[in-house]
Amino acid sequence: MANKKGQTESRRSRGDGARRRPILRWLRLAAIAVIGAAFAGGFASAGYVLRLDGVVRERFEGQRFLVPSRVYSAPSILYPGLDWKLIDLEGTLLRLGYRRVLSSDELEPGRYLWSPGRVRIHLRSFHHPSRPEPAHDVVLRLDGRQIEQILELPEGHELGAVMLEPEAIGAYYGPDREQRELVKLEEVPRHLVNAIFAVEDQRFESHHGIDPRRIAGAMLANLRAGRVAQGGSTLTQQLVKNFFLTPERTLRRKLQEGAMALIVEARYDKGQILQAYLNEIYLGQRGSTAVHGVGEAARLYYGKPVADLSAAESALLAAIIQSPNGKSPYRDPELAVERRNRVLELMHRQGRLSDAEYHAARQEPLRLAAVTPDAGDARYFLDLLQRQLASAYTSDVLQTEGLRIYSTLDRRAQRIAAVALQQGIEEIERRYPSLRSNDPGRALQGCLLALRPQTGEVIALVGGRDYATSQFDRCTQARRQTGSAFKPFVYAAALEPGEAGPIATLATVLDDSPLEVSTPSGPWRPENFDHEFHGWVPLREAIEKSYNAATARLALQVGIPRVIGLAQRLGLTSTLPAVPSLALGVAAVAPIEMGRAYATLASGGVRPEVQTVEDLVDDQGNTLQRRSLRFERVLDSGTAFLATSLLEGVATRGTAAGLRSDGLRGPIAAKTGTTSDEQDLWLVGFTPEIVAVVWLGFDEPRSLGIASSRGALPIWRRFVTDLTGGQIRGAFRAPPGVETAEVDPSTGALARWGCPQSRPEYFLAGTLPEVTCPSGGVVRIPAAPGEAVGDEAKDNDAGFFEWLRRHL
Amino acid sequence: MAAASSVSSSRGALSLRLVACALVAALAGCALRLAPPQSEGATLHLSDAAQEGDATRRASMRLLLQGLDADAAGRANAALSSYERAIQIDATNPYAYLALARHEVEEGQWDRARESLDQAELLFGEEGAPGVEAHLAGLRGAAAAGKGYGEQAQPLLDRAGRLAPSVWADGELSAEELR
Repeated sequence: MANKKGQTESRRSRGDGARRRPILRWLRLAAIAVIGAAFAGGFASAGYVLRLDGVVRERFEGQRFLVPSRVYSAPSILYPGLDWKLIDLEGTLLRLGYRRVLSSDELEPGRYLWSPGRVRIHLRSFHHPSRPEPAHDVVLRLDGRQIEQILELPEGHELGAVMLEPEAIGAYYGPDREQRELVKLEEVPRHLVNAIFAVEDQRFESHHGIDPRRIAGAMLANLRAGRVAQGGSTLTQQLVKNFFLTPERTLRRKLQEGAMALIVEARYDKGQILQAYLNEIYLGQRGSTAVHGVGEAARLYYGKPVADLSAAESALLAAIIQSPNGKSPYRDPELAVERRNRVLELMHRQGRLSDAEYHAARQEPLRLAAVTPDAGDARYFLDLLQRQLASAYTSDVLQTEGLRIYSTLDRRAQRIAAVALQQGIEEIERRYPSLRSNDPGRALQGCLLALRPQTGEVIALVGGRDYATSQFDRCTQARRQTGSAFKPFVYAAALEPGEAGPIATLATVLDDSPLEVSTPSGPWRPENFDHEFHGWVPLREAIEKSYNAATARLALQVGIPRVIGLAQRLGLTSTLPAVPSLALGVAAVAPIEMGRAYATLASGGVRPEVQTVEDLVDDQGNTLQRRSLRFERVLDSGTAFLATSLLEGVATRGTAAGLRSDGLRGPIAAKTGTTSDEQDLWLVGFTPEIVAVVWLGFDEPRSLGIASSRGALPIWRRFVTDLTGGQIRGAFRAPPGVETAEVDPSTGALARWGCPQSRPEYFLAGTLPEVTCPSGGVVRIPAAPGEAVGDEAKDNDAGFFEWLRRHL
Repeated sequence: MAAASSVSSSRGALSLRLVACALVAALAGCALRLAPPQSEGATLHLSDAAQEGDATRRASMRLLLQGLDADAAGRANAALSSYERAIQIDATNPYAYLALARHEVEEGQWDRARESLDQAELLFGEEGAPGVEAHLAGLRGAAAAGKGYGEQAQPLLDRAGRLAPSVWADGELSAEELR
């Protein structure tokens, strides 16, 4: 029995054990599975976190921001004697973000006080690595339109000149068109940081990336409102969202954001995170460009560096972070002040502003910078500058590395050029409606370029009538026939002394009779614009009236290869066909080449390199490139002067005499150019200080039906008149080796006593006419063969040695 | 009495005149002994030309003088900035290129100095300026010497030394000397 019982118990226990065994097995398996899953999950999570950590480190420790390179104009210089109305002093100050105040108590860097007869300007400091300018408090005493005196306060020292900081004229954006001015945390005023903390993240300094109290508060507020009324993100989360994540609003992305915020906080200190946030935060739009970071925003809204922001200005910036465009202070200034005051109140309540600061800041009026849209009118210049830099700096570098490029562009000259070209073309279309086209792609086009002849600096460039419609720069990329604008090269070649002396002098008489030249494509018979021939004419008259037959004959006497050689030496780089009609401008060249070649004449035979960059500085302030005033003498100064004198005659008595019809005074040398069928209209001219080229025509060449004197000339005249105020300074001076003698203009003979008519004429030393008046004889071109033109290419040291030898 | 006094006063005047003549003669003698063996022509100082020309030229000249002061104080960047601004507002000012060339010689930029000297010479033109020849020759010589053309540099420096010995005797043109 006992056995039986024992057996029964044993069976039961075996049965229980058998029943228990699968449970245990399952439990064991479950435990193993859980442990395995935990391990796998741990590994996966660790991998995920490591991946996120890698992403965070790569961005934080690599190049955090892609900063477009910014281009600045040449600085404006103020000095006694300057016409302040002509240079639009107040407009310039406003564009630079200066603000007019009503009392001297309000003066601080970036503000000015205008009172009768004087302007007091507190000039801002200018942070350029090699040309730093301290802040100046100056008074400009005005006498009528002129600056009479400049005094530096408080001592009252008289200053010879003061410089305004360069204007930003554009930037090289990447496809996202973001602009930012990077700032360091120590440059950011404490009240701006406090304002952002007050509005966006009160406990930034104590949390670890996520603020549970803020999240709970936001959830409560949103529940109460029944919509998303408040965000719970910390500054770190906002930074993570902008830096690493897409804008989608999903739980997965939110968790990812939280995880990354924790990683960022674990890896980097609060200062680094805050600085990254201050440079990343989106704060509005400047035209089509997104403005990021407080540095750029300070420029956009207040026109000044972030370091100079007041508490009230800082509060307004903080107020718009949530919706920079919806809450833009430009939209509703009164509402902006309300929002600003609410931020000030928050700051005050949180102990971030003292009572006095709070009350003072609330009283501060809203003073926004004038809206300065993108400098669309300088974009052709920016393109040229980029092409000039292309060999050293790729587009990628320009779009991302935050270089500062100080250019040669004269902002005032550029504005005047843009207006002159735009209005000039519109005026032509009004007067000649057949030239108007509703299709922008077929519209009449033009370009205007201005250079300083002594340095080759481009001070203005407008490559077409509308950059938005066409980015093709007609001044630098188009090749167009030059017409008579080419003729000065023929005359200069004739006047340049060869081994046997020059082919012609300014007293030479040319033959303007019918001419026929055999060419491979048949006989060539040049005609004059008036369809008449004028017989023997003084050389001056031939160019002043732009006689084709006389010029073509002269070119043949000089020799076409010699004309080509001279034109190339002066600065033409396009292919010049060795045909007789070259003399009348059949070669297609770019306006910038013409500008450079005329600049060589203007600077006395010294050919300048075209320059657009003054210097170039990297984002650390190191100068990477500096302008070099490079030029080369390619023509003797005497010949250059004689050619200039001829062109002065063209602008005084010849086809370009209309330049003076609006009272433009002072030295001008210029040449018109109208190609066959009036497809291209040119005016190339210079003063002692500026060379300007105007070209007009259609992109797909067709006749305009008007001469250059009615098309390009008025635009040139308006540009130079507005630039100079109508009075051109300086003079074209005869260099050593040029002498003056009286000649009989009809024969070119040296005028002696008894000669019925005479006028003074310039000659290179040793080239005075041998025939005299009234004895008789005419100065005509001797049959002189052209001489070969030497090769200009020389290496630098050989060039230096040659230069030295000339002066020994 | 009146006549006697008149005679004595005329005698006094005569003796005074004699003394004055003797003094003048003595001073002239001293001057002759002190004079350098070669006579020096006019020496060009930019401050002498600071008031010439129109307002733009005068402003340009003042910037040049500021630049020379900066160079003299060892602030080469500030000096260069002043020269460049002087050229920006008056690109036809020959003194600006001369001052720039001096600066470039001092900075060892021989090729740039050569270009600036060419531009200065061109702009001085036919009339030049009193004393400019010495500086042009001297700076050319200094640039040539710096470039390694010692043999060619010497005649230029010698010419400068002959034309303006008080400045070019040491073969250099300091900012103060040009100022």
